[in-house]
Amino acid sequence: MNFFTLAYKNLLRRKIRTFFTVIGIGLSAWVFITLMGFNRGYEESLNRDIEAMGFQLLLTAKGCPYEAATLMLKGGTGLRYMPQDTVKKVQNAPEIAQLTQMLMHAEFDPYKGEDGGTTVFLGIDPTTYPAMKPYFRFKQGGWFTQPQANEIVLGYEAAELEEREAGDLMLLPNTEQEFKVVGVLERTGTQDDGMIFLPLQTLQKTFHKENLITMLGIRTHQEADTAVFEEQLYQLPDVQVVSMAQVKNTIISLVASAKVIVLSIAAIAFLIAMFGVLNTVLMSVLERYQEIGILKAIGALPKQIFYLVWLETILLCLWGSLVGIIMAFAFSGVAEQLVRYFLPFAPVGNLIALSPGLILQTLGFIILTGLTGGILPALRAAFIRPLDAIRSEN
Amino acid sequence: MKKIIWLLVGLLATPSIWAAVGCDLNEPDRDVKRFFPTSSRYTTAYESIQKSGGEKLLAQVEHELGEAFSGLYEKIDVPYTVYTIYQKDNLLGYIHGVNQKGKYGAIQVFLVLTPQGKILDIYFQKLTSKQSKFFRSDKFRSPFTGLSYKDFAGYDISAKKLPDFPPLSALTAPPEDTTDFYSILRGIKKNLILMQHFVFGVTEENL
Repeated sequence: MNFFTLAYKNLLRRKIRTFFTVIGIGLSAWVFITLMGFNRGYEESLNRDIEAMGFQLLLTAKGCPYEAATLMLKGGTGLRYMPQDTVKKVQNAPEIAQLTQMLMHAEFDPYKGEDGGTTVFLGIDPTTYPAMKPYFRFKQGGWFTQPQANEIVLGYEAAELEEREAGDLMLLPNTEQEFKVVGVLERTGTQDDGMIFLPLQTLQKTFHKENLITMLGIRTHQEADTAVFEEQLYQLPDVQVVSMAQVKNTIISLVASAKVIVLSIAAIAFLIAMFGVLNTVLMSVLERYQEIGILKAIGALPKQIFYLVWLETILLCLWGSLVGIIMAFAFSGVAEQLVRYFLPFAPVGNLIALSPGLILQTLGFIILTGLTGGILPALRAAFIRPLDAIRSEN
Repeated sequence: MKKIIWLLVGLLATPSIWAAVGCDLNEPDRDVKRFFPTSSRYTTAYESIQKSGGEKLLAQVEHELGEAFSGLYEKIDVPYTVYTIYQKDNLLGYIHGVNQKGKYGAIQVFLVLTPQGKILDIYFQKLTSKQSKFFRSDKFRSPFTGLSYKDFAGYDISAKKLPDFPPLSALTAPPEDTTDFYSILRGIKKNLILMQHFVFGVTEENL
C-alpha cells in the first residue's frame, strides 16, 4: 500500500466530513473562478464593444460626458444635435483616416406595448459607415441602393424581433411611409445587433432633422498624435470630443469599486478554504492520535507522517477544486445574469471569461492554500511521540 | 470519476447558444391584474414545440394550422410563455402569446383564455400596422370573446378570406388592406393550437 492509497483511504473513512470539506473548498473555488473570470471578462467585453465602434474619437454636441458614453454604447434618448457642417470643419484634418456622420433618432411609438415605447434608429452615411465596420456580414441582402432610399438594414436581433427578412416592408412610428428591408446583418455580439439602420438623409428627412447629426465618428491615422488632435477638436464651438480611452476609463472607474469588493470576496473565499482544510485535517490528526503513534512505533519516520497528512490535504483540495471548476462552468450563465442585473452598465458579450489559464491558476492557488493550511496539522502529526500516543485514552 | 471527467468535458465543449426570440409579457404583474382583476397569483411556464414533442409535434401543429411554419423566425425551438392565473387555489385562466409576422413587423398576439380554453380577450402587445387603432379597438376584439380552438379548427388560413360558417363568418375585415387582419387570424389560430398541446392535454402520445 503506497502513501497515496493510504491517504485516499483515510479520507474515505470519514465520508461525510470529507464530503462537506470538499463542498466547502468547491464553493470557495467556484467563487474565486467566477470573480476572477468576471474581472477579466468585463474588461475584455468592454474593449471588444469599444473596438466594435470602429472609431477612436467621437464628436457629439456639448453635454454631459456620461451622456456621450451612453450614447456610444447603449444608444441614447433625449439626444443633442449638432449642425452637419461640423463635418466640413474637420474633414480635411491630416490626422483623419476615416470619418463618418451619424444621426441617432429615438421616436415614440404609441403602438409599442400597452403604453407605447421608444424605438431607436441610426441614420448612417452609406458611403463611409460600412468601411468603419469591416466585420459586418450580411445574412440577407446588402446596404442601401441610394443615399436617399426608403430602405432599412436591420441588425440580427432587430430583424428577429420584428420578424423581418430582406424584401419585407416596415413602417416607421408616426409616419405612413413604407420602408423596404434591404439587408439583415449577421449576429455581431455588439449593440449593432439591435439596431435599425437607415440612410442618413432619409432619417433626417423623415423625422425633420435636416442638416443635423448626433455623432461624428473619426478614425485617425496610426501615426497621428490623438491627444494633440483631440485638443484641436476641443476648439470647435459647442462640440464635445469623446475618445475611446475616455469612455473606457469612465466605465472602468464606475465599476472599480465593484472590482475591489470582488477581489476582497475572492481573498475571503481563499481564507475560508484554508481554514476549512486546516480544521478538517487537524481534527483527523487528533482522532488518529493513537494510530499515528503506532505507525511511528513500527518505524514510520516523522517526514513520512508529515507527507501522508499533507497528501490528504492535497487530495481534499484537488477534489474541491474540481467541484468548484464544474460549478463555475455550470452556473456561469446564472452568475452573468446576476452581474448584469446589479451593475449600472454591462457590455455586450461574455462577462465571465473562463479560460484554461484561469482554471490552472485556481487549481494552483487552491492547492497552495491547502498546503499552507495543512502545515500545522502535518507538523502536529509528524511530532507525535509514539509512547504518549499509545498511552493516551483517546 | 469517469462520469465527472465527461461532464467537465461536456461543459467545456458546450457552445454558446443564442435562444430564438420568444413572446412574453413585458409587464406580467400589471397585465395579469388587468385581465384577471380578482387574481391573487400566477405561475409562468416556458414551453416550446421542441420540448413538448419535437418534429412530430411541429408536423402536427403545421397540419392543424394548415400551413408550414415559415420564415427565419418561426421555428421549432421558439420559447413560448404560458401564464397560469389563480385566485388562491382556483384556476382563473391563462395568458399566452405568439409572434406573428405582419405586413410591417411582428405582431405579438396574446390570448386571454378561460380554464376551458375560450377566448376572454385579445391583447396585441406589439403591433405595427396602419390599422393598429382598429385592431386594438373593442369593436374588433369583442367578437372573438367566447371563441375557442374548435371554432378555428375548420378555418383555412391560406384562403385569405373569412369562412362562410359561423362564428368566424360574423367577423368583419377592415375595408382597406386586409393583410394584417389575416395575419392576426393566423396568429390567433396558431396560439390556440399551441395551447391545445401545451396546456389542454393533447400530448405526444395521443397525437
